[in-house]
Amino acid sequence: MTSEAKTHAIDISAMQRDNRVLNLEDETCTLEVKDLRLAYGEKEALHGIDMKIPKNRVTAFIGPSGCGKSTLLRCFNRMNDLVDSCNITGQILLDESNIYDRSVDVAELRRRVGMVFQKPNPFPKSIYENVAYGLRIQGVKKKRVIDETVEWALKSAALWDEVKDRLHESALGMSGGQQQRLVIARTIAVKPEVLLLDEPASALDPISTLKIEELIHELKKDFTIVIVTHNMQQAARVSDYTAFMYMGDLIEFGVTDTLFTNPSKKQTEDYITGRYG
Amino acid sequence: MKVSLKEWTKSGEPWVWLNAGAVAICMIMVVGLLSLIAVRGLGHFWPANVYQADLVENGNSLRLAGELVDSEDVPAAQLRDSGVAVPEGVEFMQRDLLKIGNRDVGGSDFIWVLDDFLENRSQPEMLLVAERREWGNFYGYLRSLKENGQVVASYDGYDKNAEYMALWNKFQASIDRALDLHDQIVDIEKHEIGAINYELERLRLKERSLQLKEVTDQSRYAEIDQRRKELDADYEVLQKNLLDLYTQFNRDSFTAETAGGQTIEVGVSKVVRAFLPNNMGIGAKIGHYFAKIWEFMSEDPREANTEGGIFPAIFGTVMMVILMSVMVTPFGVVAAVYLREYAKQGFVTRLIRIAVNNLAGVPSIVYGVFGLGFFVYFLGGHIDDAFFPEAKPAPTFGTPGLMWASLTLALLTVPVVIVATEEGLSRIPRAVREGSLALGATKAETLWKVVLPMASPAMMTGVILAIARAAGEVAPLMLVGVVKLAPSLPLDGNYPYLHLDQKFMHLGFHIYDVGFQSPNVEAARPLVYATALLLVIVIALLNMSAIAIRNHLREKYKALEM
Repeated sequence: MTSEAKTHAIDISAMQRDNRVLNLEDETCTLEVKDLRLAYGEKEALHGIDMKIPKNRVTAFIGPSGCGKSTLLRCFNRMNDLVDSCNITGQILLDESNIYDRSVDVAELRRRVGMVFQKPNPFPKSIYENVAYGLRIQGVKKKRVIDETVEWALKSAALWDEVKDRLHESALGMSGGQQQRLVIARTIAVKPEVLLLDEPASALDPISTLKIEELIHELKKDFTIVIVTHNMQQAARVSDYTAFMYMGDLIEFGVTDTLFTNPSKKQTEDYITGRYG
Repeated sequence: MKVSLKEWTKSGEPWVWLNAGAVAICMIMVVGLLSLIAVRGLGHFWPANVYQADLVENGNSLRLAGELVDSEDVPAAQLRDSGVAVPEGVEFMQRDLLKIGNRDVGGSDFIWVLDDFLENRSQPEMLLVAERREWGNFYGYLRSLKENGQVVASYDGYDKNAEYMALWNKFQASIDRALDLHDQIVDIEKHEIGAINYELERLRLKERSLQLKEVTDQSRYAEIDQRRKELDADYEVLQKNLLDLYTQFNRDSFTAETAGGQTIEVGVSKVVRAFLPNNMGIGAKIGHYFAKIWEFMSEDPREANTEGGIFPAIFGTVMMVILMSVMVTPFGVVAAVYLREYAKQGFVTRLIRIAVNNLAGVPSIVYGVFGLGFFVYFLGGHIDDAFFPEAKPAPTFGTPGLMWASLTLALLTVPVVIVATEEGLSRIPRAVREGSLALGATKAETLWKVVLPMASPAMMTGVILAIARAAGEVAPLMLVGVVKLAPSLPLDGNYPYLHLDQKFMHLGFHIYDVGFQSPNVEAARPLVYATALLLVIVIALLNMSAIAIRNHLREKYKALEM
C-alpha cells in the first residue's frame, strides 16, 4: 500500500465520511458521453471522451490546467456553441437522447442542465429578481409561484436567512460567497436535472468555500452534480466519483475513495501525489 | 543646487510643464470665451445712465441725449483728412458711440461723436427712456398726458418736483393699463382667434377632401357649413371685443420733448416700458435689470428680432433637440446591437463600421442638403400626395419643418450613438451573458433583459454626445426648417398639439440672424452675445439632464467588479 503513504496530503477522515459502498456499475446514468471530440479550429482539445455521469451523485473532474475538464463540462449544456471556431463530434446523451441533435432546443437544454461559473456573475438586479430571472424567462407570471420558488431556491442554497430582509436590494452589494450561493439559487430555481459547477469556490475565501461544499452535499439529493475543481482536497471532500483528465484525455474515472487511495493509473498517482500539475 | 539641462529633461519636468501649460491655456480660453459673452451679453440689460450734452462743431451747437455705448481712439490724421477741425499737436482723439434713440425724429439710433466736441455734459434726473414697440427707444422729457385727446396732466420744466412726479405717476399708470389691455388683445388674437382660424382651416381641408373623394352626401357638407357658421359667429363676437379693446388701448397718448427741443406725440399703447434711469437707485436698477432679463427669456421678439425676448427660439431649440434624441436613440441602439451582437464579424462588418465612423465627419451642411432633397422634397412630397391631398398645392410636410430638422440632425448624430452603444455592449462581461444563457434564456432574451439595461449608461453617453453636437448645429437647419420668425410655437393647445410640420426658431440661427441680417446692427450686437450665452446655457442644461440620467443608470447597473 505505497499509495496510502503518498496520499498524506488528502484528508482521510473526509473521505471516510460516506460509508456506503459506491459502485459505478450500480448507478443510474444521467449523462452519457460517447466518443466526444472537440476542436478549437485546428487544435483538438478533447480526444474522444467516453464516460457515464451517475444520477444524484457528485462527480468531480480533476486534472492540471488546460487538461480540458472545463471544456468537457461546458459541452454538457452546449456553452461551447458560443465559441465560433469550436467544432464538436460524438454524442452526449441526456436521458438517452443526444443533446447535440439538430432538433434540440438549446435554451431548453440549458434549463435542464444548469451551470454555475468560476466567478460569481449575478445580474445587476435585486436579489429577488436574480432568482426569479429563470422563471420569468420561462414565462411564469404568477407572483405567488415566483415568490414560493424564490424562497425555496434561496433556502436550498442556504442563503434565505441572510437575505430574507433585503430581497429587493441589489445583488451586487453581497459578499463574493453570498453572490456565488445566489447564483446557485438562481440556477436551481429553474429546477434543472443536472447542475454543472465550474470551479465554484476558486474565487472565494475558505469559509465561503466550506459553505459551498456543504451546499453541494445537500443538493445532491435532488440534482446530479458535476463539479470541476483544481483543488484535490475539495474533490475528495465533496464528490462520490472522480474523473482525472490529462491533456484532453480521460485517464481514470472511478469512485473517489478508490481513485485517491488506490489509483490504477500511474499518471493519476503522479498527479494526486503532487508530482506535477 | 544646479541641475544640468540634460538631467532636467530626463527628469520629465519639462513635460509636466508643457502639459500643464496646455491645460492652462485651454482653461483660460474657455473661461475667457464664457466671460466675454457673459459680460457683453448681460451688460446690455443694465439701465445705463443717460447723458445730455451739447455737440459743438464748427460753431453749430446740437443738444443730444443718449447712452454711452462704446468709445475708441481714432488717429487725428484720419479725422483731419475727412475735414474735421482737429487741434494741432494731437495724435489720437476719442470717439464715442452714443445711443440717442428717437429713430422717428432723427433717423438713426446711434451716432458717433468726438468726445472733445461735447460740452455741458449733465445727467438730468427727469430724462425719460421709453422702450417702444416701434421706432426703438425714445429719450426726452415728458410734457403731457392725454386721454382721448384731452390733456389730463402736463408740466413744462426740467426739474424734479411734485408736479412732474404727479404727471410721471399718471403716465406710469396709463402704461400699466395699456400693457394689461395689450395682454388681453394678444390673448384673444393669438389663442382664441388663432384656434378659430386653425379650425376653419381644418374645416376647409375637410371639405376639400370630401370634394376630392367625390362624396355627394350633402349632409356632410351641411355639417361642415353648420360648424363654420358657428365659428364665424364666435369670430364676430371676438372681433367686436377686440375692436372695443383696441379703442380702449389707443385711448391715451403722451407728448414729450426731445433733447433737441422737438415735441412729439406718441400713443401710450406703443410704449412697453418707461423709466428715468438717472433717477433710479441701485435697488430699482437691479429690479429693472432682472425684469429685462426675464423679458429676454420669456417674451416674443420685437422689431425684427432686435428687441424683446427670444423665448420661441429657446423653445424651438429644446423641442428640436428632444425630438432628435427620441429619434436617434432607438435607431442608433438597434443598429449598434445588430453590428455588435448579430452581424458576422468580418470584412463587410468592418467596412460598415468604418463607413459609420466616417459619417460623423461629413460636413453638416451636406446633411442639410440631403435633408432638403430627400426628406423635405422626396419624402415630404410623397407624404403630402398620400395623406394631405386636400391641402395641395400648399405643402404640409413637403416643406422644411420641425420633423425634418429633427430627422436630419438625428441622421447627423446617429454615428455617435452607434459608436458609443457598441463600445458599451463590448464592455458587458461575458460572464453575465453566459449566466443568463445558462439559465435557459435565448440570445434575444439575454440581450433585452440583461445586456441592454447594462449598456444603457453607454447609450446615454452617446445621446449626450449627440445632444452636444446637434444643439449647436445651425447650417443644416437653415435648409430644413429654421426660420427668422415663427408666428407660433410648434407645441400649442390646438389638436394635435405637437405640430411637426411647422417651422420653428432656433437660438443658433437667431444669433446669425440678429448679428448679420439685422437692419439695426449696432442695437443687435449685445443681443448676439446674450443669445450666445443663452445657447451655451441651454446646451449645458440639456447635457446636464442627460448626464444625470446616465449617472442614475450607472448607479443602477453598476458594472460587476471582475
